[in-house]
Amino acid sequence: MNGYVQGDPLLCIGCRTCMVACVVAHEGKHIFEIDPDGYDFYPKLYVIKTFNVSVPVQCKHCENPACLAICQSGAISRIDNKVIIDQGRCIGCKSCAEACPFGAIKIVSLGFKKNLDGTNRAVANKCDLCYGLAGGPACRRVCPTAALHLVERDDLSAIINQKRLASIKTASIPEISRPTL
Amino acid sequence: MSNGVHEIEDAALLFVFGYNGADSHPIVARRIVRAKQKGATIICCDPRRVETARIADMHLQLKNGSNLALVNALANVIIEENLCDENFITEHSSGFEEFRELAKKYTPEAVAATTQIEPEVIRKAARLYATSGRSMILYGMGVCQFAQAVNVVKGLANLAIMTGNFGRWGVGIGPVRGQNNVQGACDMGALPNCYPGYQNVTVPEVQAKFEKAWGIKLSNKIGIPLTQVPHYVLHETEEKKIRAYYIFGEDPAQSDPDLAEVREALEKIELVIFQDIYMNKTGQFADVVLPATGWNEHDGVYSCCDRGFQRIRKLIDPPANANVLTDWEIISRLSTAMGYPMKYNNTEEIWNEVIDLCPTFYGATYEKLEKLGNIQWPCRSRDLSDKGTSFLHKDGHFAHPDGRAKFSSIEWQAPTELENEEFPLILSTVREVGHYSVRTMTGNCRLLRNLEDEPGWIQMNPKLCRDMGLKHGELVKVLSKRGYCITRCLPTDRVKRQAVYMTYQWWVGACNELTIASLDPISNTPEYKYCACRVEKIEDQAWAELFVKEEYEKIRSNMGIILHKEAV
Repeated sequence: MNGYVQGDPLLCIGCRTCMVACVVAHEGKHIFEIDPDGYDFYPKLYVIKTFNVSVPVQCKHCENPACLAICQSGAISRIDNKVIIDQGRCIGCKSCAEACPFGAIKIVSLGFKKNLDGTNRAVANKCDLCYGLAGGPACRRVCPTAALHLVERDDLSAIINQKRLASIKTASIPEISRPTL
Repeated sequence: MSNGVHEIEDAALLFVFGYNGADSHPIVARRIVRAKQKGATIICCDPRRVETARIADMHLQLKNGSNLALVNALANVIIEENLCDENFITEHSSGFEEFRELAKKYTPEAVAATTQIEPEVIRKAARLYATSGRSMILYGMGVCQFAQAVNVVKGLANLAIMTGNFGRWGVGIGPVRGQNNVQGACDMGALPNCYPGYQNVTVPEVQAKFEKAWGIKLSNKIGIPLTQVPHYVLHETEEKKIRAYYIFGEDPAQSDPDLAEVREALEKIELVIFQDIYMNKTGQFADVVLPATGWNEHDGVYSCCDRGFQRIRKLIDPPANANVLTDWEIISRLSTAMGYPMKYNNTEEIWNEVIDLCPTFYGATYEKLEKLGNIQWPCRSRDLSDKGTSFLHKDGHFAHPDGRAKFSSIEWQAPTELENEEFPLILSTVREVGHYSVRTMTGNCRLLRNLEDEPGWIQMNPKLCRDMGLKHGELVKVLSKRGYCITRCLPTDRVKRQAVYMTYQWWVGACNELTIASLDPISNTPEYKYCACRVEKIEDQAWAELFVKEEYEKIRSNMGIILHKEAV
């Protein structure tokens, strides 16, 4: 099973530390860029706020990813139980962003990387669970309220089991249905 | 704060009033979340559905500017329903009878229209606060940034006194202050009326003590508050006029209300000395610029909002060939040049002078700070057994001469500039996480700029947007009696229709062009949370986008930020 990071809206305070950490983790020393137009930074997750909920939205790393199925350039693949975009191969066709049911993919414009005609290169961008980076998902590590959890196969089983137990607890057995001996 | 930040977690009830921890201090907000996890009841009073409101048991979404009406009504219920701590009132307070008289007329029904809160909701909140056994009040700028501010603080203190919620662990009243070291600035006497350690300049013995220590004659007159500087430059008579203004680590041309007036004052004043790490809007009015060092190049002590002293240590040395000095070195040189030789070898020598002169800080030596990590004043003894004071007013002892807490009987007063036909909306300025203060630092951070950039946002109720035909992200013009600015529309149902909200950090979408310089008579803090405004749709969006882009480039190039310009 692919892993994914899940936020708990009861703990999330919408502070967006996860978004900053995401960029810092992926961009390394580029974050010290001084030239104001020399680089572009995009987080791979977005904190979304509604009347009752604040929580980051990020890739679910689906088992049957619609983005992967629709990608024409072979830029999306499954590696190490993660769904990964190779931005070098991405042609910016936007199909994956449309196909994703969660809005987890965003097309971002890279001002510092130009196409042959001089226009900005635009590519698909989404959570890669910090693939290839030490320490696992940076968002989860920095969250001040520990609102983000990395869910893997065993974790999901535990969650499901808990819910099954809860559903038994609430199911009452009517007196009348008991067999009289 | 009367109690430590760490005690927030242990309160049985948190009464969070005009304090949006999630946006101003995520690290403190974490304590609120933990308190909730530990089973605390949370009551949130805020005109917006802030993060705390989401997890609160009760959200009192009061009308902007009705603070004291609500606070007095809560007191009314506590008295009427006999929920007071009679023993605490008799033993440890004064002035209750007078307050009881005043509170009589603030029935929940009487304030319902003013506060826009149902009487039963006020009653329920009052009961919960009075009976939890361990109730703590947290408040922020939603209380302080009104023309009636200090009196609301006194009103909140009334609630804590009448229910005996002082002098124990996990109770009290907590102003959670804005910046990391704003408490430190006050502790060190960066106020017009006191020396370090809150020792008043008008007290002869205090004056004599500092004159002896420093070997000079000192004034016993209270100085001019920061927010009154424009008045003293523009409107005072010759002998009272301010002629020179030394500004460091501040950007009044961005952060103060009614920017047009601030600019006029900065233009008129004879000498402006500006000391900072980057240029900002104020820097452009400077006659002398002193390049400074950043926080990560400093040694010293910060005070946290709960009176906790912490050592800070430099991460890096200032570049050796750049000829920049730390703030204390600049001040020492300046003082020496002006005829008072000031010489220190390090910050510990300065700190030792501070604690020698301040009885409440006397015990907080560098050595002890090193050992304990954090010392909350009062810490009066250098003995290792004095580890500071987590909560004040133990056993009901208060700082007034009679040792008693004082009830304050104060009437609610409406904000200065009410909404009207021409300006039908309330403008309130708020914080937003992602950038810091006026952005002198973070506006120059490439990464943070990419996450959130000019001209910023105006939070508006979706129904209002629909009626005005405004879409998410559309540029709009916001106007008040004093000026206008252009910003982006952010529809959100977390705000009510009657009020709109902007953040003061944006240089193009500068909401302080609109705000009013109406000051609280005691604290001199401006009424940033309330003025009348109007939002206008801009038909020509392409023009507006170009306007924002050009304004931004102009501001950045005035600040010397643009290193090289790309051909467009």
